[in-house]
Amino acid sequence: MSSVRWEDMDTAYDATSLVRGKGHFVDDIRLSNMLHMSVMRSPYARGRILGLKGGMSSADFKGKLASVGEGASPSSALSIEPVFATGFVNYVGQPVAAVFADDRYRSTDLLDSIEVDYEPLKPVVTIDDALNSGPIHSGMNSNVLVEATQGKDFPDPNTPIVLEDILENDRVSTNPIEPRGIVTDYHNGVLNVWISTQSVNSIKTGLVESLGMNPDDVRVMQTDTGGAFGSKGGLYPEYVIAAYASMKYGKPVKWIESRREHLASTNPGRGVRGRVKIFAALNGKIAGMKGEVLVDAGAYGTGSGGFSAQYIGFMMTGPYSIENAFVTGRALLTNKVPQGPYRGAGRPEASYFIERMLDLLADELKMDPADVRLLNMSDKPFESPLGMRIDAARPFFETAVNELEYRREAKLTKGVGLSFFVLVPALYTGESARIIVKGGRVSVWLGGNSHGQGHEVFVKKLVNEELGVPEDIVTLYRGDTKMTMVGEGSWGSRSAMVGGAAVVAACRKLKGDVLREFGNYTADNLLSGSYDEFVNDETRRSINSFGANLATVEIGKMGNVKVKKCIAYYDVGRALNRDMVIGQIQGGMAQGIGQTLHEVLSYNEDGQLITSSISDAGVPLAEDLPNFGVKIAENRSILPHGAKGVGESPTIGVPTALIRAIEKARGKRLRKTPVMPEDLME
Amino acid sequence: MEDALQLLSKYGDDAKVMAGGQSLIPLLKLRIASFPYVVNISGLKGLNQIVEKGDYLEIGSLTTISELEENDLVKEKYQALHEAAGLIADPLVRNMGTIGGNVSHGDPSNDIPAVIIALKAKLELAGLRGNRNVDADSFVTDSFTTVLEKGEILKRILIPIPGTNSGGCYIKHKKSAGDFSVAAVAVHLRLEDDERVKSAGIGLTSVAPKPLRAVRGESYLEGKKLTDSTVREAAKIVVSESNPSTDFYGSLEFKKKVLGRITEEAIHLSFERAMVR
Ligand SMILES: Cc1cc2nc3c(=O)[nH]c(=O)nc-3n(C[C@H](O)[C@H](O)[C@H](O)COP(=O)(O)OP(=O)(O)OC[C@H]3O[C@@H](n4cnc5c(N)ncnc54)[C@H](O)[C@@H]3O)c2cc1C
Repeated sequence: MSSVRWEDMDTAYDATSLVRGKGHFVDDIRLSNMLHMSVMRSPYARGRILGLKGGMSSADFKGKLASVGEGASPSSALSIEPVFATGFVNYVGQPVAAVFADDRYRSTDLLDSIEVDYEPLKPVVTIDDALNSGPIHSGMNSNVLVEATQGKDFPDPNTPIVLEDILENDRVSTNPIEPRGIVTDYHNGVLNVWISTQSVNSIKTGLVESLGMNPDDVRVMQTDTGGAFGSKGGLYPEYVIAAYASMKYGKPVKWIESRREHLASTNPGRGVRGRVKIFAALNGKIAGMKGEVLVDAGAYGTGSGGFSAQYIGFMMTGPYSIENAFVTGRALLTNKVPQGPYRGAGRPEASYFIERMLDLLADELKMDPADVRLLNMSDKPFESPLGMRIDAARPFFETAVNELEYRREAKLTKGVGLSFFVLVPALYTGESARIIVKGGRVSVWLGGNSHGQGHEVFVKKLVNEELGVPEDIVTLYRGDTKMTMVGEGSWGSRSAMVGGAAVVAACRKLKGDVLREFGNYTADNLLSGSYDEFVNDETRRSINSFGANLATVEIGKMGNVKVKKCIAYYDVGRALNRDMVIGQIQGGMAQGIGQTLHEVLSYNEDGQLITSSISDAGVPLAEDLPNFGVKIAENRSILPHGAKGVGESPTIGVPTALIRAIEKARGKRLRKTPVMPEDLME
Repeated sequence: MEDALQLLSKYGDDAKVMAGGQSLIPLLKLRIASFPYVVNISGLKGLNQIVEKGDYLEIGSLTTISELEENDLVKEKYQALHEAAGLIADPLVRNMGTIGGNVSHGDPSNDIPAVIIALKAKLELAGLRGNRNVDADSFVTDSFTTVLEKGEILKRILIPIPGTNSGGCYIKHKKSAGDFSVAAVAVHLRLEDDERVKSAGIGLTSVAPKPLRAVRGESYLEGKKLTDSTVREAAKIVVSESNPSTDFYGSLEFKKKVLGRITEEAIHLSFERAMVR
């Protein structure tokens, strides 16, 4: 039987091996007798399958997907995605059948041997289509997947200013450099899985559920993961098919996603529309906010659409002390690939809705946008009517206005935008860590798995601080369900917080072990022995943080936007490593610019994906990016190591500041991302 | 060359010419097209020279876009061509892609066709039954369709050597570096001694199913003195000749707006350049 011939250190995170081109990615795995899998996908957004010949399909395997990972939302049985399209297809790119061969070219050629006969049906493509057409799944009453309200409805306050607007974020592909991929190998009754992922534990839970397996018979191991941005935490049909095929054929199976498949079939983020109404006094004080959030959930409830509809609503008062707020959220089914989390996962959308309204209010009252914002903040902690708890906001943001040199910039530049936000990290349900001390080395595993953020850096530092051992004998290994039997995942700005807290907790347990054994703790005592500690640290309190962004732009005569300045001022808690924090922020700012100016998944009226290549989907390029300015405030959190969240801050703060800067430069209200040159050309 | 023509005639529809492969290989890779035989002509000798001979600048079809971009003669006297070459894709593609492939592909978004239309070039095609010449503006007949017949190879591009008092340029508006254009225009003007336009050449990229010659725009300019208002009017006429479609790069209204702006700019710039010659 074959196995992956990787040395011990090949399964550790090591950024230096990545820059030397010596990473260990899933596509690097070559097992003997390995089959390559190619997937036949639906060419129609909606249709009936009249006949299907060839390949592996729903005739062979009737399983359904499990909803696991970030924003997993169990939904009604009627809207759960089948592993293979069964009877109907519901989005372009939906897996219909799979073929296997001993190399990738041959498996791709084999796709021609499959014959599918479709009866195309009229697809439900847009949010409006979803509201106005019959349900895409028979048995449902409408296309409403989830409806949820936040806060309590209230009579319209009798204020002189009432503003209402409709605001939109179009869908965005997550587009990590490395698309999805998996290798499955079933032997001796155990399914071994190597995968590019944010969470080995989610993948395991998902496979166990979809395949009806015993958890003890599944082991999921993470490979080096070249980015994910939310799209690699959940289960997808291809994973289940590859696992099933390995069991059926008794051979290892590899599936590597192409970029085209990624754009069509990997859950994208955003895709929301909000109708927001605010009631304000003439001095700018907001008395109430009402919102209606519509999420384009795509064809099945197995993505995160249902979760988004509630989560966006929850955060919609932002850092402002708005006493009355009520939001209805609805996730709507459309004939498109299911929506999923994308860096921010609801946070950027919520912030976009409230920040666009504060700018509108400032313009209406001819007030400075910074002043309107500060006026609506409190000097005390505040619990919003939607249930979100924040610290005293005004002191932080007054400092932010100065740190960003906003007032000076506003005098000098027409195209300037400012944004304020609260980051709500996904701390629930905590995280697990395991530390093994043996042979003078410290080996660490986390339940949430780095997909390029460099978790090893904070882990080494925390172990060094807690246990007094040198960093170079500490190794963080990639995710492996054999080492962490439970665990959550790396997303929602959580890893340094809850992953870090778990590492600290495990270290303290080790210290206790040493103390009991030796009567005192020293690093030498620790390293002379063998210890194994596992914790699943449950952090239930929310620990939010504040951030602010400034952007300035110039607009060219063809409506092309040049970003001149893009500056962040974020409270990151204690910065465990400043360079890593700055790197996170700069990368996220590039994505924020991407969402605002370039990135979109566009579908035509037939539900066909128009942006089917990476150049069309519009990733930001070096020429689009200014010199970033990153300033950080370090107000320790209540966690033992003081960390707060950071990963999602820039994708929350940049789009709102940037769209405002463009709006000011152009002198025209803007309601939708991305902002296209044609919206701006005079 | 003889061997290549023989192979093409032997395999007929089953064979496809490949030069730099920068357009053909993506088509094969994406399985949009497939051919049992690929005839790689990139090794043919003598087809990558750029020389002035008699009344023409002769460019061998295997000249790479990079060679074109870096050639001093082109830089000096054929600015539109030099500028277009430098705006195509990225250096990796330019190092491999050839001028012949760029034109023969028949892509309405490829940049070279508009330039050679504006420069009123001729294309020399080789076939087993001998060579023939066709005008640049009649070479591409529709999207991805040319007058090349089965078994024919584009051998050379012949550009009339510009006379005195002439100048031109290529303006390409694109979303990001390395992209194809939203719209692009090549202009070449020759002036009389009294600064009237003696002859005008205008070629358009990405605004119709094929590269276009703006015939009416050209004849409007000819004989005229250039003022802001004649240039504006000429640009309007050029836009009216275009036929863009709405796609991901923008709506047709947007493309027409862009085309109008860059055409005005290109006529002004070509005029300035012609004046200093
Ligand atoms: C990422 C990318 C970006 C690009 N961006 C641009 C751009 O911005 N602007 C632009 O103009 N182009 C662009 N291109 C296209 C590129 O410039 C062309 O692919 C290249 O110039 C074509 O030349 P080639 O030698 O590679 O042709 P091939 O790919 O080898 O051939 C293309 C076609 O022409 C035929 N052919 C080639 N040579 C001859 C010949 N001598 N006689 C007869 N038929 C022939 C082939 O049979 C084939 O049908 C881009 C390409 C890529 C990959």
